[in-house]
Amino acid sequence: MEQTQHILIVDDDREIRDLLGRFLERQGFRVSLARDAREARRLWPLGHYHLIVLDLMLPGETGLDLARWLRGQSNVPIVMLTAMGEETDRIVGLELGADDYVPKPFNPRELLARIRAVLRRAGGEGGERAREPPARLIRFAGWTLEPARRRLTDPQGAEVPLTGGEYELLNVLVERPNRVLTRDMLMDLLHGRQAGPFDRAIDVAVSRLRRKLEDDGRNPSLIKTVRGGGYVLAATVERVS
Amino acid sequence: MLVQAAGLTIHALDRVDLQRIAQAREVSARAFGIWRTMLLAPPDRRRPLLEEADLPPGLAATLDREPAVVPGLPPPPPHLLRLFRVEALMGGPPRFRPRDTLTGMRGDRMLVSLRLPDGDWLNLAIRLTPPRPWHSETFLAAFALMTVAAMGLILWATRRLTRPVRQLAEAADRLGRDVNAPPLPEDGPREVATAAHAFNTMAGRIRRFVQDRTQMLAAISHDLRTPITRMRLRAEFVEDEELRAKMLADLAEMEAMVNASLAFAREESASEPTVPLDLAALARTVLDEAVDSGEAGAEAVSYAGPERLTVRARPVALKRALANLVQNALRYGGVARIRIEPQPGGVVRLIVEDDGPGIPAEALETVFQPFRRLEDSRNRETGGTGLGLAIARNILRAHGGDVALENRPGGGLSAVVTLPG
Repeated sequence: MEQTQHILIVDDDREIRDLLGRFLERQGFRVSLARDAREARRLWPLGHYHLIVLDLMLPGETGLDLARWLRGQSNVPIVMLTAMGEETDRIVGLELGADDYVPKPFNPRELLARIRAVLRRAGGEGGERAREPPARLIRFAGWTLEPARRRLTDPQGAEVPLTGGEYELLNVLVERPNRVLTRDMLMDLLHGRQAGPFDRAIDVAVSRLRRKLEDDGRNPSLIKTVRGGGYVLAATVERVS
Repeated sequence: MLVQAAGLTIHALDRVDLQRIAQAREVSARAFGIWRTMLLAPPDRRRPLLEEADLPPGLAATLDREPAVVPGLPPPPPHLLRLFRVEALMGGPPRFRPRDTLTGMRGDRMLVSLRLPDGDWLNLAIRLTPPRPWHSETFLAAFALMTVAAMGLILWATRRLTRPVRQLAEAADRLGRDVNAPPLPEDGPREVATAAHAFNTMAGRIRRFVQDRTQMLAAISHDLRTPITRMRLRAEFVEDEELRAKMLADLAEMEAMVNASLAFAREESASEPTVPLDLAALARTVLDEAVDSGEAGAEAVSYAGPERLTVRARPVALKRALANLVQNALRYGGVARIRIEPQPGGVVRLIVEDDGPGIPAEALETVFQPFRRLEDSRNRETGGTGLGLAIARNILRAHGGDVALENRPGGGLSAVVTLPG
């Protein structure tokens, strides 16, 4: 993180754009601002952006059109700002390859955490990572995860609701099947920090998730416990685009 | 029924009259016949002939030396004389005319003594048998048939007449619960069709009124989100930690209200598909999220019930409904315990319990009205938007279920949710 990361904010509300810019600058980012899709396209070749914050509700060309255009240009991570109720737009956005979304009215700190998480994931896999096409469905051990809707369905086809934490954990696990993930790695991937000696959050989330996946906690076969404090998803993961 | 009874009475009276006249005709005809027989027969043949005579009931005849009518008997009433045409006997051709005719009443019998030319008396005793209007079997069967038919007709007619009124009452009841209830059919008799049309017009106006208000609520809530976002960002530049925390708390509350209003407004037009859903996992998710967000300690929530229970539901909507009930339990009762009890017949009962003070019995229903809160929670200490329960009930009713509140005998409040399986 030595190099200052450059973020392009695309939002039509001047106040929000400026305030968010100042807020992110204070957090140590370099920020460029665009009022609409046209201005964003004009700014695009002028900088090397690490991430785009994109409001889906834009006058003229929509945020979705811009996201599609950006995906044609590069794999730059995109965090969408969506209004509650624009579920369809959000799903389309995620399917187009946006990395995350934050509903409006957003909490700036939450947005910051999401930006950092997305940047970490993008950076952790080697900067300009070779992106896989976004998976529409992820299948493992009969279960199906639908990332755009954050939805898990059991082998019989019934939806099994997950808390935010459970979903994030499961998402991290299915992205790295059959790889041992220590508590520290999981904490870092999930919350961007190291696990403390008393941090039981990961264990709690794992035991909740096992219960929902009908994985026997005493003799788990799906999310296995590794001696020395780590977990591994023991399953073949199939990604459907 | 009254008409039936009157008709029956008229019929019976009529029949009594007829019977009486017919009987009288027969009696007088036979009496006349006997008289002629006696008159024409030789005196020594009279008695055997009289014994052989087949007399109708109510007529007795004897041949005596003395008249049965003795002086002092009351005279028969004129209508009886007329009925039996006694005067015809006396008014016949001279050779058939009795030498003497005496009439009198003894008890319920009319005595007629006729003197034969040789001085003997033919004594006739005429007893009027009481008419029996109910006697005929065909009459009873016809009467029963008529009664049943009339009852059937009456029932059919009243039902036909009252059905539109009942439908109107039912429609009004439905409209009270759901403004989007289907309109009444505008058919049937003209008055009924007019009433149905007027009702549908009224329902349409109410619907438009509610829609306007809902749209206004949605528009205001929607537009509030931009200023809330701006203020959130501005708050991040406030140096005073305490002031910033307070501002952020206020903004969080405003956002909760905006989101609740939007959810309430949007519920009307919700188009989320119904899918199989694990209700047990949903209940645990809602409780765990309350813990994760810091609304409750891990010890304040618990779940009891089956590990898995699949129902058909709209997941996002149902989650909101349960979250609202859990939030209420935690806010006013400190804890939230969910129990799931599958009932026979596929219905599922889900109960959210708290250990709070409960609410007055008369408020158990009214708290479901939008923006309705108990007086003592109006200060914003305990917060809440006044929409949580209204939204929960809207959602559950849209699922074909419902939710009601109950004070538990041992203390605490239960929100009892029912869902079709």
